[in-house]
Amino acid sequence: MLIALSWKNIWRNKKRSSIVIIALTFGLWGGLLSGAIMMGMGESVVNTAINRDLSHIQMHKPNYQSEKDVREFIANGPEIVIELKKIKNIKSVSGRTLIEGMAASPASTFGVKIIGVNPMDAETTTSISNQLIQGSYKELSKKNRIIIGEKLAKRLNLKLRSKVILSFEGIKESIVYNSCRVVGIFKTESTQFDEMNVFVNQKDLFRILDTEPIIHEIAIRLNSKKNIPEILNILKAKYKNLSIQSWEEIAPEIAFLSTSMENFTYLFVAIILFALIFGITNTMLMSIIDRIHEFGVLIAVGMKRIKIFTMVILETIFLSVTGGLMGMIIAFLTINYLSKVGIDLSIISASMESFGVGTMLYPMLPFSMYVALSIMIVLAANIAAIYPALKAIHIQPAEAIRTY
Amino acid sequence: MALIEITNLTKIYNTKTVPVYAVQNINMQISKNEFTAIVGPSGSGKTTLLNLIGGLDEFNEGKIVLDGIDISKLKENQLVSFRLKKIGFVFQAYNLIPVFTAKENVEFIMLLQGVSKAEREHRAVELLKDVGLEIKINTHPSQLSGGEQQRVAVARALASRPAFVLADEPTANLDSTSAESLLDLMEELNEKNAMTFIFSTHDPRVMKRARRIITLLDGKIDVNHMKS
Repeated sequence: MLIALSWKNIWRNKKRSSIVIIALTFGLWGGLLSGAIMMGMGESVVNTAINRDLSHIQMHKPNYQSEKDVREFIANGPEIVIELKKIKNIKSVSGRTLIEGMAASPASTFGVKIIGVNPMDAETTTSISNQLIQGSYKELSKKNRIIIGEKLAKRLNLKLRSKVILSFEGIKESIVYNSCRVVGIFKTESTQFDEMNVFVNQKDLFRILDTEPIIHEIAIRLNSKKNIPEILNILKAKYKNLSIQSWEEIAPEIAFLSTSMENFTYLFVAIILFALIFGITNTMLMSIIDRIHEFGVLIAVGMKRIKIFTMVILETIFLSVTGGLMGMIIAFLTINYLSKVGIDLSIISASMESFGVGTMLYPMLPFSMYVALSIMIVLAANIAAIYPALKAIHIQPAEAIRTY
Repeated sequence: MALIEITNLTKIYNTKTVPVYAVQNINMQISKNEFTAIVGPSGSGKTTLLNLIGGLDEFNEGKIVLDGIDISKLKENQLVSFRLKKIGFVFQAYNLIPVFTAKENVEFIMLLQGVSKAEREHRAVELLKDVGLEIKINTHPSQLSGGEQQRVAVARALASRPAFVLADEPTANLDSTSAESLLDLMEELNEKNAMTFIFSTHDPRVMKRARRIITLLDGKIDVNHMKS
């Protein structure tokens, strides 16, 4: 009955309660939607980086990451690639031959990372083949072909079928050259990536370097991000002499961005709730002042002060949870809809690309956040209720009945 | 043994500035089954005395023993429990819980006492029948007349099976028909159920019905008259 009384009490002044509920609803809706956009952006940065080049796990010779030396290749790399393809939950594997070099055209020269790939393996591991805006990925299988980014094409004034000269340090000679024909131009979410990376068939590199197949980096794509810890453990146990890292270890700045977005969302919602606490406290305080006489009567007829305290806390929780729940439901529906249709941010595509995010943004909010938020709302309600509840229990019945 | 024993009772307001003796050196006893009116002009201390007897206010000197218990020795929570079990209150402005129906208002007191749901419901309906409101048990206070609301208040006061009922100007807001009807009801409860009623009032209709009239003047008992 105390619960029923508390629930009924909040509807005694419908206008006042509705204002608080509307404030909570829209405050939370705005906070959650903003959070979902931020988290969607973080997730987009992570996913595009994983799809574009990072993949889920990478393997290198321990010194390679610091030296970037062409001689620091993985021993028995091609065999390891074959072995890896047999492990459960590994979706695809791409062995990469990486060389830092220069790309030259008649117009200009620019430093690039030459990524030698097996086109078939690379196609299933990364998304470059799907991000060609000109040309054909399949032509990479032919001799001396190259795929470059749109930004580099502009910088070097290259077009489809143009020739580009790659120069880089060889294994045996000081500098080697190779002339390649542009068969594809890609455009990813990151203009920086498009400017600094070129893809060639690794067979061309083996021939020019006059070497057996060498692999500097093995990119592994898993069935799901959830499999990363399990596969990492398997690989670390099996290939103890190699550096094996998850995408979070390879690109900690991206991992940090993703985590930060989630933390910012919590912080953002917490600030909104903190501001709303004052509104809720004010409303409850007005409600208490309006009912001083009634509280006096309740205490007089034998209602203990602890029950009065509980009743005020319950009223505040009901008020807050009603607004909170409505805000969460509206936010859930909005986010759910936008996560399917996306938000088109092509109007600010330049800034989005420099940030490494696609122009279509898909807001997302994990279920755990709704749970955490429910707890935060109840906590905020309790904080908001303390002062009005204390005010209520300090009412002196005789004075309240006589004066108010 | 008297139901209510008051000895040398004094209540002073504004003790830090000019002391005002709201109640001064009151001595009186009220026995079970009495139908007593405390009367006097405004400011004579009627409500203060009623509040002191009801344990709603603290007194400065003296002693109040209710049903054998010295209430000055009770702690706050004990006093609340004592009020809940022993005293029924009827207020001038009815003071029902507006969001509850008549039945829920009566039940609420029993809920505070920890009475089971089935018993609460049964007793609430019985009490509302006793006060003539059986057809309005599910009606909210705002849909009841003043007289009906005060009848619900009487039913609520009786719900806890109190030792006595304190009624502070119960007829002050009622028209003459409702007032007479309420007094009939209280008289009937007093006679049939041996319920003790103590009123503060300046309503001549109440004074006419009361079997004992205690007149206060400036916080002191002026006349303590038992009708024959």
